[in-house]
Amino acid sequence: MYKKRFDLKYMLNPRSVAIIGASSSPNKVGHVILQNYIDAGFPGKLYPVNTKEDAILGLKVYKSVLNIKDGVDLAVIAVPAEIVPKVLEECGKAHVKSVIVVSGGFAEMGRADLQDKIISIATKYGIAMLGPNCLGVMDPRSRVDTLFLPTYKLSKPKIGSVSFVSQSGAVGSTVLDLIAKEGFGLSKFISYGNAAVVDEVDILKYLGDDEDTKVIIMYIEGVKRGKEFIEIGKEVTKKKPVIVLKGGVTEQSASAVHSHTASLSGSFAAYQAVFRQFGFIVADDLSDLLNYAKAFSTEHMPKGNRVAIVTNGGGAGVLETDEIFLNNLTLAEFDKTTLENLRKNLPVIVAVRNPLDLVGDADDKRYETALQAISKDPNVDMIIAIVLFQTPGADSKVVSTLIHYKNITDIPIAALSPGADYTSVHKMMMENSGIPVYDSPAAVAKSFAKLLEHSRYLKDNGKE
Amino acid sequence: MELLDYIKASVLLEKYGIKSIRSSYVSTPEEAIKFAGEKNIVLKLLSSKALHKSKAGLVKVGLFDEKHIRSAFGDLVNKGKELKPYKIVAQEMSFGGIEVIIGSNIDQQFGKMVLIGLGGIYVESFKDTSLRICPITRQDAQDMVDQLKSRDVITHGGKSRDMIVGLILKVAKLVQENDISELDLNPVIIRENGYDVVDIRILK
Repeated sequence: MYKKRFDLKYMLNPRSVAIIGASSSPNKVGHVILQNYIDAGFPGKLYPVNTKEDAILGLKVYKSVLNIKDGVDLAVIAVPAEIVPKVLEECGKAHVKSVIVVSGGFAEMGRADLQDKIISIATKYGIAMLGPNCLGVMDPRSRVDTLFLPTYKLSKPKIGSVSFVSQSGAVGSTVLDLIAKEGFGLSKFISYGNAAVVDEVDILKYLGDDEDTKVIIMYIEGVKRGKEFIEIGKEVTKKKPVIVLKGGVTEQSASAVHSHTASLSGSFAAYQAVFRQFGFIVADDLSDLLNYAKAFSTEHMPKGNRVAIVTNGGGAGVLETDEIFLNNLTLAEFDKTTLENLRKNLPVIVAVRNPLDLVGDADDKRYETALQAISKDPNVDMIIAIVLFQTPGADSKVVSTLIHYKNITDIPIAALSPGADYTSVHKMMMENSGIPVYDSPAAVAKSFAKLLEHSRYLKDNGKE
Repeated sequence: MELLDYIKASVLLEKYGIKSIRSSYVSTPEEAIKFAGEKNIVLKLLSSKALHKSKAGLVKVGLFDEKHIRSAFGDLVNKGKELKPYKIVAQEMSFGGIEVIIGSNIDQQFGKMVLIGLGGIYVESFKDTSLRICPITRQDAQDMVDQLKSRDVITHGGKSRDMIVGLILKVAKLVQENDISELDLNPVIIRENGYDVVDIRILK
């Protein structure tokens, strides 16, 4: 049985932060972290801790966390591994509520002994300790940012609804950089490294309860407490979508295998089974993570597998149709009213069928006519609007039309708009208004297929 | 890990409502002939030194008269010289149907799991299997079957789906209530209105 061990709110929404190992030399991790807090406009108290300096970036420096009298919600530890036990002990004595150890040099470097040492200290004082060997956390709402990467190299996501959990720091910062380009924005980022104390189960529980988080995306390599992971996982996946990318797909060594079942149910297969059984949404690579996050963040779920395609390019419609069927979706058959409506209001050059090819000179009026009829069609469960912005009629008025229909219907609507500069401006407009936009026919179809799979899971499990 | 005696294993299955095909140990060709009566039988040599019986030529199928039974028995005894201790089991022969594997294993992180898939000689080539963690609900068991590429083949177009779902649930209950680390029912021959568990391997 899962027992709530920590409250991560002190880590993600602290009133006071001590940065242990803060430094005035700009190439030190402790300097970058302090600078990030200042740059982000962190509204709480900041306490640089360093034994040798008196002032850093204009702030008074403390020799030890024990000298800070007002209480510390979060201590970020960025000192060499050998010194971590000592400063952690001081954090314990100073009743620091949570700690992030960004330093590496523990179990991942063969120093399990050192890791055991800090685990026992954290346990003794009941400190929620994240890491070691991690990037820490980022929360644009509370302006917390422990990432020690130079700001000019990493774009920071805007405030949003998607939270991202990553075991790996490198995958973490890469995906964060990519999220900065997406319309959905970031709620919380948590990189947990070696998971010595706080692990994926604690984090999943916290994000499941967090009201600012609508969608969770995770990169994990393995879990430490399988049973609790299932227990919390199945609770959270019923509340909000959890999209997971699992690293370490290749099978473990062919150690003595005694039965067929054993050889067919290795560790990766077990993870896949858990994800499927308990309602996780499985991503196969990094781009899936973002594509699915985009689709799920609209919170519109399909009721069936019937897709309507509206396009201003015949070929793109054909490619999308192929992907629809490859992903076990199907094309909607428009009902009589829709057909009559479309025949009456569209020019004769438009053949009325699904995919509905509005032809290369289609403008916002034609999209308007099409979406007006299709969005009310009871046979349509999802809509893909293909807008190729290279054509003369496709402009921001088409974008406004799409946004209008997205706002008045519950049916998931996504756009397919591959293209360069002109397109990306319009893409941003749509995404900022909650329409997921994709670059490839496959990405749209896969994302819709996941929406459907998840909506069926919820239905089978008594939700919706 | 210790291999559970074949007949004991079939009795254990029976307790959970899984009937395995009629089997008996035989120590002489005469006993095998008596067991066969008018029916076709299979003779198998069981030894902990031979994990893959059919690959090692330790399964003799379609034995329909005294002459064939005697010669198959002699051949097994010969092969058994290297595999002592061993036992020979005689089984009724199962006809028709599709071979399915139902199994169980323990995952270090998540615990006991149950697997279903296209079985017999197809296991290795197609690896068309699905897996769930115990406890398994009826919904889970249905999903397991529906997830297989060979779904329509093994369920005879849906007709034997409920029976297979039932088998999965029985196996799940069996492994959860007993100290079992691995289990293979492979093959289970699935027909439209019935099944035969033809080979059992249970590791304590």
